[in-house]
Amino acid sequence: MNKKMIEEEIREIADSWKDKEGNLIMVLHEIQNRYGYVPREVSLVLSEILDVPLARIYEVITFYHFFRLTPPGKMKIAVCMGTACYLKGGAELLAELEHLLCVKPGETTKDGQFQLEVVRCLGCCGLAPVLKIKEKIYGGVKKKDIGDIIAQYSDETEAKAAA
Amino acid sequence: MGKTVFIKDTTIGGKDKTRDIYGILLGILRERGLENEVQVVRVVDIGVYGQGVAMRVLPENFLYSHVEETDIAGIVEQSLLAGKPLAAKLVAEDSKQLRIVLRNCGVIDPEKIEEYIARDGYQALAKVLGDAPEKVIQEMKASGLRGRGGAGFPTGLKWEFTRKSPGDQKYIICNGDEGDPGAYMDRSVLEGDPHSVIEGMIIGGYAIGASKGYFYIRAEYPLAIERIEKAIKQCHESGLLGKNILGSSFNFDVEIRLGAGAFVCGEETALIASIEGKRGYPSPRPPFPSVKGLWGKPTCINNVETLANIPVILFKGGAWFAGIGTASSKGTKVFAVTGKVKNSGLVEVPMGTTIEDIVYGIGGGAMPGKSVKAIQTGGPSGGVIPKEYFRTKVDYESLQQMGSIMGSGGMIVMDEDDCMADIAKFYLGFCVDESCGKCAPCRIGGTQMLRLLKKVTEGEGTPKDLDQLEQISHAMQKASLCGLGQTAANPVLSTLHYYRAEYDAHVNNKKCPACKCAKLVRFLILSEKCVKCGMCFKACPVNAISGNRESGYLIDQTKCIRCGQCFEVCKPRAINRS
Amino acid sequence: MEKLTKEGLEKLRQQGAATEKNYIKVGFSSCGIAAGAQEVYDVLCEEARKHNADVEIKKCGCVGICSAEPLVEVRVKNMPRVFYGKVDKDTAIKIMEKHVCGKMLVNDRIYDLKVN
Repeated sequence: MNKKMIEEEIREIADSWKDKEGNLIMVLHEIQNRYGYVPREVSLVLSEILDVPLARIYEVITFYHFFRLTPPGKMKIAVCMGTACYLKGGAELLAELEHLLCVKPGETTKDGQFQLEVVRCLGCCGLAPVLKIKEKIYGGVKKKDIGDIIAQYSDETEAKAAA
Repeated sequence: MGKTVFIKDTTIGGKDKTRDIYGILLGILRERGLENEVQVVRVVDIGVYGQGVAMRVLPENFLYSHVEETDIAGIVEQSLLAGKPLAAKLVAEDSKQLRIVLRNCGVIDPEKIEEYIARDGYQALAKVLGDAPEKVIQEMKASGLRGRGGAGFPTGLKWEFTRKSPGDQKYIICNGDEGDPGAYMDRSVLEGDPHSVIEGMIIGGYAIGASKGYFYIRAEYPLAIERIEKAIKQCHESGLLGKNILGSSFNFDVEIRLGAGAFVCGEETALIASIEGKRGYPSPRPPFPSVKGLWGKPTCINNVETLANIPVILFKGGAWFAGIGTASSKGTKVFAVTGKVKNSGLVEVPMGTTIEDIVYGIGGGAMPGKSVKAIQTGGPSGGVIPKEYFRTKVDYESLQQMGSIMGSGGMIVMDEDDCMADIAKFYLGFCVDESCGKCAPCRIGGTQMLRLLKKVTEGEGTPKDLDQLEQISHAMQKASLCGLGQTAANPVLSTLHYYRAEYDAHVNNKKCPACKCAKLVRFLILSEKCVKCGMCFKACPVNAISGNRESGYLIDQTKCIRCGQCFEVCKPRAINRS
Repeated sequence: MEKLTKEGLEKLRQQGAATEKNYIKVGFSSCGIAAGAQEVYDVLCEEARKHNADVEIKKCGCVGICSAEPLVEVRVKNMPRVFYGKVDKDTAIKIMEKHVCGKMLVNDRIYDLKVN
């Protein structure tokens, strides 16, 4: 990444939060929204701009589950492991996904296509068990449906690549 | 309005007679030439369960249960022609739900402030701005409202403490970091009725003397954030936020801060640290936030559901609110009834409603073919309540006496397939994951307990392990710094208390009575029932089943990974799971 | 929007309370959207145009019967107000054709739950 470009972008984000106290977490949210994770280069720049030690930034990033230090896969698959989803078979869905994608939670498939995540409650307990791919939530998912659901997304990307 | 009849067979199990009765009723109506006067419709749910064929006649709203074919002519005669109830079949239907917090959810368009105003929105604010803040606090104390985040501290008192604390700047915070996995009433209110929370917050700000408020919302709730943002913008445009609100001298503004996925941030001091942009570490209390909170200033933290109550209370009066509920718990509570229950969803009931009414009366009971075993309330900080105690009335004290807590309102229904040791392990795993690591009892105690529970559920446990679980639990309760650690052992203690026999079966007999713990389950093919179809042979992912369509099949226990695939595909139920 | 005063607020309240129109409300919270509320909403709007139906289609929050999402509330003059649950494209078409235009309730889709 080009340092100058990063600097411009980060300055823009930081400026909008400049006058607000305790802005670090909100700035990190915006950075992650833009890049999908918080790259080290960005943290270095941010540390200079906000005049906050790098250690403080990393302290916060590593404390909260939401922030990532590594690039996400193209498509994030989040399996809900809230209580309702767990009771209704969330763990089996996760096992099936691990089996199909050959990754553990938190990892990305070798082709960089899918990233498997476990989340604590998406707030759709009535539809349990639930999983979320990109921004779409699937409710009442059965183990045998998972293959089909994933296939849709592989096709989608293939079609895009072809076009 | 013409007459309408709803029909539904509510019998659990057995043949559904809805269509038969529907046909008979239509026949009778045709005979009498009434088919154009009366609309008969089959419905999916009629609000009662397990009471035979039920019928509702509208607009009179007579509800009949256990309707037999022979009753139909009478219903036509009495209710449809004469407009009178047929007393023998009538069921008294007390509307069990009372919607205060959810009053506008699903009723108004949450993105239109006009619709909120049309439902008496911002009327309470207009009213209180003419009163002294002390009077508002008095009214809140009179209402008896207690914090809906879980602990149940009286809201009026909290406001009073913050008001009386000296300080040039004070803050009010809305805690929307709904962390209990399995509860989502706050999300629903933020998404469905954002203005009611904002109004509650402005009133709170006025009462305690704050000019600034913060919404702390989970980043996992993008829609809730979007709706609150829109609502705040509308408030700015119409002068409900900013300077001189509604033409008064009161100034108040709010900002949104996002959570970043840390359960401990539901704890007040940790939440404050997070808004300040730091790690969400809790700090010892006192000093309480009402004295020394956000940036060292007096701060009041209220939960979303608490704030949504406030406009109604101040519009209708504290005495009105105090008339609902039990002696010590006033008003209503929203529960997210989920898990193994027919109608999962949000339920708002007056305090003092029995668990039975919630689970069976509103929730419709267990899933088809199953029976309810227990409920769990309070999430990772709560405990289980077995079905033998479902006559318990829900309020803060009763639930505590049962070894659980009210919590934020998660009510997870469990059935016979759920293992209590496994549930305890699930919740403890959650707490270990979420422990911030600051204090040793929580950090080390949790990990050790999880290790013991893993042993138990994998069949490696000993009776001594159970004693040790209890010991560590008590240590964690006493010595942990914040609420997370102090309550993390509750799911373990309450399951041990009520379901000791189930734990004993795990450690003594190496059996899981609910057949949930994979390592303790055995699958066996019963040769007398087996039809030798070979389905299990095909389904087995690890080739642990051998044999052929002549000799039958056999499961090799050393290869079996206990995935249960064979059990699921076996039509004649010839596979025994134990 | 101009800055509100107490009087202005009262005026808005009365204006809003006066309307008594036919409506269809579609539950648009996370759970409803996850279950397919957007498609239902689109189909309803399209069908309403086709039939030139006298009904307002609105997006609302969640009524709370999450297991029955997508949930649609229908109020047509001189008919009982009802909730349809697990609404799919076909049911949405039926709601518009049969219920709104034909004044006939649709079988096997109504959830008769007293919520508000």
